[in-house]
Amino acid sequence: MTVLVAYVPTPEGDAAFTAAVAEAGRRQERLVVLNTPREGAPVSTAVASEAVVGALVQRATAAGVDVEIRQDAHAGDLADEVLRVADAVDASVIVIGLRRRSPVGKLIMGSAAQRILLDADRPVLAVKP
Amino acid sequence: MDFAPVLDGFGVVLEPTNLLYCLIGVVIGMLIGVLPGLGPAATIAILLPVTFGIEPVTAVIMLAGIFYGAQYGGTITSVLLRLPGEASSVVTVFDGHALARQGRAGTALGIAAVGSFIGGTVSIIALTLVAPVVASFALDFGPPEYTALALLGILLVATVSSGGRLKAVTAACVGLLLATVGQDSFTGAERFTFDNLSLADGLDFVPIAMGLFGLGEILYNLEERHRAVQAPMTVANVWPSRADLRESAGAIGRGSVLGFVLGILPGGGATLASLAAYALEKRRAKHPERFGKGAVEGVAAPETANNAAATSSFIPLLTLGIPANATMAVIFGALLIQGVSPGPQLVSQEPELFWGVVNSMYIGNILLLIMSIPLVGLFVKILRVRATILAPITVLITLVGVYTVNNDVFDIVLVIVFGALGYLMKKLGFDPGPLVLAFVLGSLLEDSLRRSLLIFSGDATGFFTRPISGTLLVVFLLVALLPPIRAALTRRGTMSHPDTAPHDIKELV
Amino acid sequence: MTTARDGARAPGSPGGDTAARAIPPGSGLSSDPVGEELSLEEAIHRVEEAEHEGRPPAAGALSNILTAAAVVALGIAALVGSAGLGLGTVRSPESGTWPLLVSGALVLLGLGLLATARRTTDAERFSGASWLVLGGLATMVVFVAVIEVIGFEIPAALLAFVWLRFLGREGWRTSIVTSLAVVVAFYLLFVAALSVPIPHLF
Repeated sequence: MTVLVAYVPTPEGDAAFTAAVAEAGRRQERLVVLNTPREGAPVSTAVASEAVVGALVQRATAAGVDVEIRQDAHAGDLADEVLRVADAVDASVIVIGLRRRSPVGKLIMGSAAQRILLDADRPVLAVKP
Repeated sequence: MDFAPVLDGFGVVLEPTNLLYCLIGVVIGMLIGVLPGLGPAATIAILLPVTFGIEPVTAVIMLAGIFYGAQYGGTITSVLLRLPGEASSVVTVFDGHALARQGRAGTALGIAAVGSFIGGTVSIIALTLVAPVVASFALDFGPPEYTALALLGILLVATVSSGGRLKAVTAACVGLLLATVGQDSFTGAERFTFDNLSLADGLDFVPIAMGLFGLGEILYNLEERHRAVQAPMTVANVWPSRADLRESAGAIGRGSVLGFVLGILPGGGATLASLAAYALEKRRAKHPERFGKGAVEGVAAPETANNAAATSSFIPLLTLGIPANATMAVIFGALLIQGVSPGPQLVSQEPELFWGVVNSMYIGNILLLIMSIPLVGLFVKILRVRATILAPITVLITLVGVYTVNNDVFDIVLVIVFGALGYLMKKLGFDPGPLVLAFVLGSLLEDSLRRSLLIFSGDATGFFTRPISGTLLVVFLLVALLPPIRAALTRRGTMSHPDTAPHDIKELV
Repeated sequence: MTTARDGARAPGSPGGDTAARAIPPGSGLSSDPVGEELSLEEAIHRVEEAEHEGRPPAAGALSNILTAAAVVALGIAALVGSAGLGLGTVRSPESGTWPLLVSGALVLLGLGLLATARRTTDAERFSGASWLVLGGLATMVVFVAVIEVIGFEIPAALLAFVWLRFLGREGWRTSIVTSLAVVVAFYLLFVAALSVPIPHLF
């Protein structure tokens, strides 16, 4: 069993990561950090740079948590990818960050978080920064 | 030499409209050059319709601007992303990206811009001096010389092309065949028109270039999946330091000369120049082990050389009417559509156009230097747009754009047909470059061949008894026959080692 | 790398297009942490390998043979066509003389390709993703077939939508919004601003 965190280099992502490290420590489980950009563009702000990844690994290791970083690009919907990876790594909990959004913004942009919450067949921990 | 027309040329360039179009060209060129998948030839091909409504001089100035911009766009992606936007920036990747990883992306881009500027400027000055001489020399050329020159040009471009030489020459032959469609200029007979009225005037260059380079490339990229996605890199401190400049001064100087010389050779062009300049610097260096780990010269040399070569590759185009590579073939096509036929008479008959174009290169280079560095942030943002969103937009621009040239739906049909052909060619290992080049030179080649045969009254040995055409044809035969013979010999010699690296390099350059 | 772009191209690379195949970190280029010195040839070779990451594997002998056969067939067809144009003689070339020479060369080159078909490695296999290309072409054919009847707006929106949603696997919302926005932008640019006489509905 593992703890899976969907990470993006934003305050929400950092909040999720912090919570996930604590969760992994409590459950004595391995932490899988999923930082997956959409494929198709050469550059994406969703990707954590090497320096950021290094810092994440350091923080997890300092907390005594075994960590794995996954940065492969995905096609299609982010929520599907998170759920797919959750199955693959047999996650006992999925940790996600939530953004504060107006109802209008949500209507236009859709919400990966909402889909993960609705469709996941395992516990989801939603964190706000 | 008489410098008055040169100065008049500056007058042409400094007209506000021309300056504006040069600026637009450089910026659009950089924008599209930054995008993965579309290199200078494709960029110019797709933007061909834009140049129609404008005057020839302005159009060519804009095209030259696009060409420069597209070149530098490739440098940006090489340095920041290890993504060589085009062949001539491949070697820049080694040291450019190493510098970027050390947090010196700005230095790399800055030195590349400075090097490009100096290389380009040196090359333009040399061009200004050499081009009229070449042109006046070429004024004596008759049909036999042009036959030999066109044959050699096509063969050389096919030789340096990727994939098998056999395939490249095949593509060139298809291009020659396509050029025969339409009315025979001697007898007026209709050839390969299949009684189609739209084909009676022959195939247009624009849909062919836009289809093969533009649509073909987009379709080919559709199949690609899972390209690595990278985190955006911030670029700070874009000006190279005095120490960097001192360190790379020699490299820039040597790169300028090397680039100019190699750029004139057909088929050579910017790619060969950048490779040769990098290799030269590495060989000359006191500490060659620094190369590949962020040596400033490793960026300066190839970037200087490729820009110098890009500039000097205009010489064969403007003075002989023979494009030296596929990108020049597209510019050649654009000129023909504007009613300008490049050749030795261009300098004397249309000095305004000739010198306007040449001098616009100075302006283009200066604009490149000014625009490139502050706009790097914008270009990096563009790289965040997904290919899946850009592709349909580019397709529609191509389809609607090609229509605007003649307001003819048949051109849309053609561009789709050639798009499919371009895709198949890339897929099966045929380079579309030689096809386009051969298509552009096809009617010139046929006309001169037929005229020569009439001059010689059927005696083909006449080609070899004239000194210039004879020499060119001997070179042609050497280029055509040596590699297959050598390949056959090496195959016999070393059956166990079919594919060695030196062999690869020989083909590459 | 494309000669299309400029000069030389990668040897033996299917499609050989430098443009922008990402070279993933750690593929042993310049920043190789091991720090061994790379020769230029070696480095270029690795760039080329990296360029072909994400591309389908090389095609089999059958596909190469078919390609060569197609070239031969094209050459023969052109030979027949040129013969019909009047061959002329070297002394007095006719309309068919030059096409005859070129198509003769084409037949010979096709035979050469046939002979080397088994050793050819620069062609790519057609994969499942090749259907995407066919789909993309189909949208363009539809576009050109109906543009004169119903104008460019609807087929353009349709083309953009199919490319976004089905070829690019974008979301429904992104696809609909983008394709509509593209058509509006095209209308404003080509019809309103440049008054290009392209067939249009409104």
